[in-house]
Amino acid sequence: MKQKLLYVVIIAALVLSACGGGGAKQPAIVRIGWSNGPDSLNPGIAWLEEAYTIYELVYDSMYDLNLDGTFKLSLADSVSASADGTVYTYKIKKGIKWHDGQPFTAKDIAFSYTLYKDHTDFPTLNSYTEHFVSSEAPDDTTLVLTLDQSIPNIESRLIFLYILPEHIWKDHTGKPSEASEDSSLPTPTPEPNQSAEFENIEMIGTGPFKMKEYQPNEFIDLAVNTEYYGGRAKVDEVIFQVFSSPDVLVQAIKTGQVDMITELPNTSVESLKTAENVKVAVGAPFAPNLADIIINQVAPENCPSEADGGVCSGHPALMDKQVRLALAYATDKKKLIDVVLVGYGTPGIALIPDGMGEWFNSSIKDFEFDVAKANKVLDDAGYKDANGDGIRDMPDGSKPLTFRMNWPTSSIVGPRMAELLGDMWKQIGITLEPQAVEDDALTAKCCPALDYDIIIWGWVADPDPATLLIIPATDQIVTGYNETGFSSPRYDELYVQQGTELDHAKRVQMVWEMQQIVHDEVVYIIPFYYQQVQAYRTDRFKGWLDSEIKLALEDPTSIMVIEPVK
Amino acid sequence: MTPPLQHGTFPLQRWRMLLKRFGWALFTILFVVVLNFFLFRVLPGDPARQGIRDPRLTPETIQAIRVRFGLDKPIINCFESLNPVKVGSCGVNPLDTQFFIYVKNLLKGDLGQSFYYNRPVKDILGERLWNTILLIGAGQILAILIGVVFGLFAAWKARTAIDYAALISGLVAWSLPTFWLAIILLFWGTNHGLPIGGKATPGMSSYPFMQQMGDLLQHLFLPTLAYTIIYMGEYMLIMRSSLLDVLAEDYILAAKAKGLSAFQILKDHALKNSMLPLVTLIAINLGFTVGGAVQIETVFSWPGLGGAIFEAVGRKDYPLLQGGFLLIAISVILANFIADLTYSYLDPRVQAD
Repeated sequence: MKQKLLYVVIIAALVLSACGGGGAKQPAIVRIGWSNGPDSLNPGIAWLEEAYTIYELVYDSMYDLNLDGTFKLSLADSVSASADGTVYTYKIKKGIKWHDGQPFTAKDIAFSYTLYKDHTDFPTLNSYTEHFVSSEAPDDTTLVLTLDQSIPNIESRLIFLYILPEHIWKDHTGKPSEASEDSSLPTPTPEPNQSAEFENIEMIGTGPFKMKEYQPNEFIDLAVNTEYYGGRAKVDEVIFQVFSSPDVLVQAIKTGQVDMITELPNTSVESLKTAENVKVAVGAPFAPNLADIIINQVAPENCPSEADGGVCSGHPALMDKQVRLALAYATDKKKLIDVVLVGYGTPGIALIPDGMGEWFNSSIKDFEFDVAKANKVLDDAGYKDANGDGIRDMPDGSKPLTFRMNWPTSSIVGPRMAELLGDMWKQIGITLEPQAVEDDALTAKCCPALDYDIIIWGWVADPDPATLLIIPATDQIVTGYNETGFSSPRYDELYVQQGTELDHAKRVQMVWEMQQIVHDEVVYIIPFYYQQVQAYRTDRFKGWLDSEIKLALEDPTSIMVIEPVK
Repeated sequence: MTPPLQHGTFPLQRWRMLLKRFGWALFTILFVVVLNFFLFRVLPGDPARQGIRDPRLTPETIQAIRVRFGLDKPIINCFESLNPVKVGSCGVNPLDTQFFIYVKNLLKGDLGQSFYYNRPVKDILGERLWNTILLIGAGQILAILIGVVFGLFAAWKARTAIDYAALISGLVAWSLPTFWLAIILLFWGTNHGLPIGGKATPGMSSYPFMQQMGDLLQHLFLPTLAYTIIYMGEYMLIMRSSLLDVLAEDYILAAKAKGLSAFQILKDHALKNSMLPLVTLIAINLGFTVGGAVQIETVFSWPGLGGAIFEAVGRKDYPLLQGGFLLIAISVILANFIADLTYSYLDPRVQAD
């Protein structure tokens, strides 16, 4: 009887869904599955990569980022820079229209850059406007950007500064109120129409796709912009649908409910490889990311003051480069990749991932995995097992080499890595006390407190290497970004130099040297760079760009060129 | 001193009980309002950073975000923050502390702005509440109907093969892990062409109404089925045991001796008396309905309240958490209040306590 009831419901549902329907030509709709939607449609305040994926399709910025890490002009036909590299003049394309039909001009660009610069409460995009003095549009097709110093790689600063329509955003320019230093005074009332509170549901842009329908946490439906100045995409609609469990994503592509999935668990790759009409693609992530084993090596003189939150309780042995070197020799990166990532990762060297193209120093020879050598390094440095308990002790016998090992609770790879590293390092007489710590609590322990021994964590790269290179700089110990407490005058000097070097080849040279220093001093042990795994159906659309350095099938680079399989 | 119970005071007695219950309900809600606020602020972490370490995030930016969310103000007089505990000035204007701003906004019906989504909490909860009521409402009603009918049947045919079959299947259904059952149904569903995620096929909003409803029913089918199976067993077991107790009473024997039919005995003599435990259970379950079913919502990507609240915990989205918990508290309290009313209708002795 229960069965019957169920069938009645199914049939009713099918009948209802069959009514209506029909119609002439079927539009080409790409259905993409992912496990999370954007956190906000307002570019000023979004954090998640998913939000940026949508911005890339709906908005334009001055440059596009290619899959090999290079840039190409997008909204402008040409650019000229002043000799000192502080004034850039862009010739903007003519005839571009906003999705609502209003004309687009250089004034919108000037407005947008000013908006990003004025809003200190925009968590990520505001930082790209550092060194901007002004952005002005003397006429509709000219944009003049003035800086207070020359900055290399201006492209990387402009790619995420999406151009917003002035005619809509001019009503949402309210800035946050500045809290006064004197807490007895009442906080001034904030300006009306705060930018950060604008939901931007209509999302009027100039990009190749227009917002058609947005259901938060369910789906986003984008329709092709037939008047796109860069040429119309070959598909009519792109739908991003949220499947909250990764296993369900895999099931959805197997059964053809979606045409592409932006992510899948590495453990599911094998089962998908045998699925019919499904292809699995592997490459560097669009924003390359790495896992790092952070070693607390802060010297007492570099410990932040108590007022700045410094605790500096690190194990003294880790300040010794020889101990860090021994740990590096005793780390089997291949095994870590095979076990933790099911093989979908590449061995790490220094802070710049291999997915960053020319910035990655490919000439560094990594410390090979060699337990005997690691033991010898420790023997030579005087770390003997004084009391015969199987654990080495400090040369003066004061303390065993037992390190606290932490990782954030949100980390998927943390527990497995801690276990494997515990086994590997046990072979050289070092033991670990593993413990997962809640992310924010770990931040509090980590930096600038430096109240830990070893942490497993990671970083995501920006298109320009500077955001990763700043991390080991001495002046970042107190801000909390220099998580290891490492300090090297040569490194600091190089960091400052590369920040203004306009000669690209010279800058690459400096960036390479910085990686060499980080590697040679064993500031970190970088176990691996993650690889992106995605999958698409071969019987629905063709032309996915799945063999470039970076893999991002959801990026316009693919979405603009795919076409239905006839 | 209680007045002597007389026929004439009966309605007054009832009103007095109602008022008392209502007072308690209000008091509980007030308590939840206060507790909600402090509970989440004891959690470690900084909601302005959301656990994100990013060199692009400058101290000025973090401060600006704090100001936007009102996190720059002291939690309450004498306390700057609760985790870590930081004692502050007690002389600040209470109306300029986070707690009283929260209370003031609440009185205005403003649940605040979600830290994570930067949208009004009221809007988010509204969208999600409707989805949850749809899914769990359908599941509960089916589970109650099927559970009660099966329970009745099993009790009437006590200690026969039918009873044992019903008992065992009820126990199994009740003890199935929700997540596992949902996944199994999902795999079964994909092979039968049923949608496995979300509550609507994207891009259907321009289609005719009937077609949209059909689409919704298809999407509802699997999660509702999972929910029904899990809860049906519970209702069945309670109904069966409660009815068995009643059927053992002397007056049932008397009814049988009078020659009444099985249907009449059940309908007029047994059913009403055996409903009390079931009403309690239904009330409790319906109250928690609003909390959603996180596991089912997760497996079927159903955009319900449970998932929203679950995610908000990890994101330290205080306003969303406060709003969500308040909603759950109010609905549980309301459901209990209604259960009390139903009790006094089903069993007039209840109000004399």
